[in-house]
Amino acid sequence: MAPFFVYLAAGAVTGFHVYTLLRLTALGSPVNPLELFSLAGSLCLLVAAYLSLFKPEAAAKLALLASLTIWCFYGPAIARTIGWF
Amino acid sequence: MILPYLAIALLVLVTAYSAVVSFRRPRDGRAPTWIFPSGTKRCAQTAVGICTLALILGMAAWFTIDARHSNRRPSRFLIPEGYVGWVRVEFQVPGAPPLLVEGTEYLFKFPPSGLLSTSSSEEYGWAKDHYFYYSEGGTRILPETGPGGGGLIWGKVNAEKSGPLGKRKYEEFFVGTEQQFGEQTRGEQKVGSSAPETQAK
Repeated sequence: MAPFFVYLAAGAVTGFHVYTLLRLTALGSPVNPLELFSLAGSLCLLVAAYLSLFKPEAAAKLALLASLTIWCFYGPAIARTIGWF
Repeated sequence: MILPYLAIALLVLVTAYSAVVSFRRPRDGRAPTWIFPSGTKRCAQTAVGICTLALILGMAAWFTIDARHSNRRPSRFLIPEGYVGWVRVEFQVPGAPPLLVEGTEYLFKFPPSGLLSTSSSEEYGWAKDHYFYYSEGGTRILPETGPGGGGLIWGKVNAEKSGPLGKRKYEEFFVGTEQQFGEQTRGEQKVGSSAPETQAK
């Protein structure tokens, strides 16, 4: 059950965080396509959580792919926050 | 705000864990452990399935109930001709006049200062509001659009502030072009009275 809870928590928290950022577009902020990419990755993590109950290895591969997709948004965001570019 | 840090921490954990599970040699004689299970018991799968179903049904019920109470009376905002900048409505102000209702809409007529106080309570929910510049010559519509749509209403916020008279709810938004809104939020422009051009009503 450990992988299920880890993937589920990560998918839910990252998905909710990016969703809150996407809601700011209603206030006039521009849409970042990487946010949509990241949101799709969070959904894949939720799928991986349920898949981990039946096929842990396949779920791990899907979760790795999903987390790399989410990093496409968080990586540049962290680098920009730190001031690398 | 803890959410971004929690998201990044969980993301690091998932990336590391899934990479280890994906690239370690499968079935090399080690017995499954709680951290590297080979599968889940049937009863656990059933429990997760039931919990998920209950969660989905609960969320569907919540959204249905919430949607029935999410409508409010629409509002008509009248802003002085030429005003560019933030306008604010302060609700539940003792001694201030209540909101007028014109037709099916609440009427918010801002003074030249851009600050309007009312004793009425703020309503929440979905409704299509309308915005106008007013002058002695009549009114002209102020379009509300998304980014790039040529709208003149931006950054609508409903919030609450604490003051000497306690907590007070307010609503504010920016009147002007998208460029002026961007310049204003970046602190590059002070608000003035050069009104953007729109069609007269």
